Amino acid sequence: MKKIRAAAASLALLICSLLMLGPAPTASAETYARISGAGSTWSQNAIDQWRREVAQYGMTVDYTGSGSTDGRNQFKQSTVDFAVSEIPYGMTEFGVREAPPTRGYAYMPIVAGGTTFMYNLKIGGKRVTNLRLDDATVAKIFTGVITNWSDKEIATENPGLTLPNRKIIPVVRSDGSGSTAQFTLWMSKTQGAIWNSYCAKLGKPTPCGLTSYYPIRPGSGFIAQSGSLGVAGYVKQNYAEGAITFVEYSYAIAAHFPVVKVENAAGYYTEPTPSNVAVALTKAQINQNKDSTQYLTQILDNVYSYRDPRVYPLSSYSYMILPTKLETPLTEAKGKTLGAFGYYFLCQGQAQATPLGFSPLPINLVQAGFDQLKRVPGVVPQNINVAGCHNPTFSTDGTNTLVKTAPYPKACDKAGPQQCSDGTGGAPAPTQVKPAANGSGGSSGGTATSGGTGSGTSTGGTGTSTGGTSTAGGSSAGTAGGGGSAAGGTGAVDPDTGQVIGDGTGTGDSTGTGTSAQDITASSVTVGDESFWGLRTWLMGLSALMLLAVVIVPPTLARRFAGGAKKGNS
Amino acid sequence: MRTRARTAGAGTSPEPGAADDRARRLHGDSGPADRLFRAVATSGGSLVLAVMLLVGGFLTYRAWQALRVAKWSFLTTAAWEPDAHHVGIAAVITGTVLIAAVAIVFAVPLAIGTALYISEYAPPRLRRTLISTIDLMAAVPSVIYGLWGLFFLQGKVIGLARWLSTYFGWFPLFKVDNADPHDPLATATVYTASTFIAGMVVAMMVTPIICSIIREVFSQAPVGEREGAYALGATRWGMIRAVVLPYGTGGMIGGTMLGLGRALGETIGVYLVISPVFEIQPHILQAGTSSVSSLIALRYGEASQFGMSALMAAGLALFLMTLVVNFVASSIVARSRSGATAE
Repeated sequence: MKKIRAAAASLALLICSLLMLGPAPTASAETYARISGAGSTWSQNAIDQWRREVAQYGMTVDYTGSGSTDGRNQFKQSTVDFAVSEIPYGMTEFGVREAPPTRGYAYMPIVAGGTTFMYNLKIGGKRVTNLRLDDATVAKIFTGVITNWSDKEIATENPGLTLPNRKIIPVVRSDGSGSTAQFTLWMSKTQGAIWNSYCAKLGKPTPCGLTSYYPIRPGSGFIAQSGSLGVAGYVKQNYAEGAITFVEYSYAIAAHFPVVKVENAAGYYTEPTPSNVAVALTKAQINQNKDSTQYLTQILDNVYSYRDPRVYPLSSYSYMILPTKLETPLTEAKGKTLGAFGYYFLCQGQAQATPLGFSPLPINLVQAGFDQLKRVPGVVPQNINVAGCHNPTFSTDGTNTLVKTAPYPKACDKAGPQQCSDGTGGAPAPTQVKPAANGSGGSSGGTATSGGTGSGTSTGGTGTSTGGTSTAGGSSAGTAGGGGSAAGGTGAVDPDTGQVIGDGTGTGDSTGTGTSAQDITASSVTVGDESFWGLRTWLMGLSALMLLAVVIVPPTLARRFAGGAKKGNS
Repeated sequence: MRTRARTAGAGTSPEPGAADDRARRLHGDSGPADRLFRAVATSGGSLVLAVMLLVGGFLTYRAWQALRVAKWSFLTTAAWEPDAHHVGIAAVITGTVLIAAVAIVFAVPLAIGTALYISEYAPPRLRRTLISTIDLMAAVPSVIYGLWGLFFLQGKVIGLARWLSTYFGWFPLFKVDNADPHDPLATATVYTASTFIAGMVVAMMVTPIICSIIREVFSQAPVGEREGAYALGATRWGMIRAVVLPYGTGGMIGGTMLGLGRALGETIGVYLVISPVFEIQPHILQAGTSSVSSLIALRYGEASQFGMSALMAAGLALFLMTLVVNFVASSIVARSRSGATAE
């Protein structure tokens, strides 16, 4: 007993001493006023990371990811100390120009990144991770021109994949968003005709430039969700197979989902790795006029057309909108916090960008950012030697290290008959491609002819209950069963459903190399019953009746027996 | 005589033969403290009214620009295109009412069942825990319910939605366009982001409110009549049917309507789940719906003056609607509390 008590006492002492030690460093550190901001969800993953890190210095930075539009609006209405937005004030959307705020403001780039297309697609129950699309196809998907994954245009760009006959579900943002603005800006510049005809169909004025609110037609199968987390979270659900959305790269990484490799001007399909984004943004035109309110804002036209094979075309910078006048709600104390926070993320914070899926700022923008911070009232200027920031773009000779060391894409990423099997985004698992597109020579093509053996059991469609079943590839299933010769896979086919049992021995994916038939990839699906008055309906009715009987019969019987017993007694 | 005067104050009837005696007038003034309290209470009450009026006045003032352009077509237009000065609340009001209706359909049976269990069946120790759990449910922020609905509930409900639309699709409310239950590769996304799922999420939010009101009313069912019912040989369920439920009818209706008032105004939970469309969408299982409050939350960053004004007009419509619902609700609750329905 004594021992226990002694142990408890020492434990308590230990806790007390820890508690006393714990707050000591912060107590001696500087005090910071709490600041709040709102805006972009595109760069929210980076901002949240930085906020967590500066908390150790006693800084409390509140940030609400409510969309760039809302952030700019809240800054304008003086409800937040700073905003984060992908696009500056003064853009014209559907003929309405956004008025700049009356508050003093300035832009400061915070991080770079790529707007990606995250998708949820499976072939034969396996996730596709190497899909690639060019700009026209992307635009057609998001304007409802291409509505099926088995579309010919998608197939020609993905020679290694047998895409399923599944509906494409474009998922767009429902709130006012900078991601939407960046994406529609890119569409309007590179695929103006497709985008304009979509706008015209919806009764919007053309030419239709960028917009923060993606217009959708009711009943078109598009889904709109709020926030980057909302769209990414929707796409990754199991039921959302066939969905595709535009979202920052970091969300795809966090969701462990692949992103589309987009074709750049050099004819290579690339993904927005930090180095590809850095290469692309070397061509971004940054406003260098220090007197302009638009100082440091970006014009991305040259990024879209930059002919370097490493470029990811939808790269852009994200901006913080800083207050430059001592007006409500800004105070000197808040300015000090904002400055310290800014110095932190422009310097050390940039090293965190890469693992999250963003790209760090180049040295010139970091230095310009430092200068912009000095304009915030209350900032304590710091003389930071950028060499000590561990920013991956910095080098001693002034060149951008990240750009210099950026790897060139593989040969199989070039537009053409070959396709890389490597995974993308947060899904590094490779996707098996057809031997013909594999790039490892034609020899493997010859070995796969066994795909034609099929099995005799599946002849004639086998007639039993769930006849007329379909597998991926739609109508081709029936013919495969009937012919009994062109069925994919290695033999065993379920006689009831016509599906290939198991995943085969690896040759299942490399079906039908002969000239004979369409490729067939078996995907296990549940098949609905054909008629309304089928077995299922009767069973449902029966179970409903039985449930009712369980409730009603026992009391009825009991009452009757009880009544009988009473009569017998009397 | 002196005794009588004292007892008259206590409320007993005057003795016969004392017709010349008039009942003494009672006056409650017992000093400055009481008067001060009365003044504070009165001003508090009128402040609430003044705030309500100011909110209404502000909304009307800000909405005027849009209402002047849209006129009566504001009530009948479904589209929301403030840039083209083509706005109306036909679609959003329909969506709001449908979402609230679905919420009530799910919430009321749940709330009545919970309230009955707590007030009549639960052992006393469990009762306290259950009451605080229900109160806790009411305290959970609606964004939590929204995220839960989006990431968890939606995937689980699709099966039910598909089943309903497959077998009851002939009923217009349950129809789903572009859905083919016989195509195994058909997408399940047509059943997501719907009125149905948004309604279920809102149901989770309004259940605690409805439940606590109903429980309160049930627990006020007179003990004498309960004992009487038992004495006449009623089972517990018989007693509930004969005493508790009739006594609580007014409370149930009132609680439901208070819940409805909250369901109409629910924002973030709906905002996170739905995929907004601006056409009248009566198919509750189909993707795409809208509500006034989520429209305001989504479009609040609208750049143009007219757009803001149109949002204010939509807000005004919602304000008036919830005001009416809540007014009716509180009057019903007040009536039931007086015991008028207890005979």
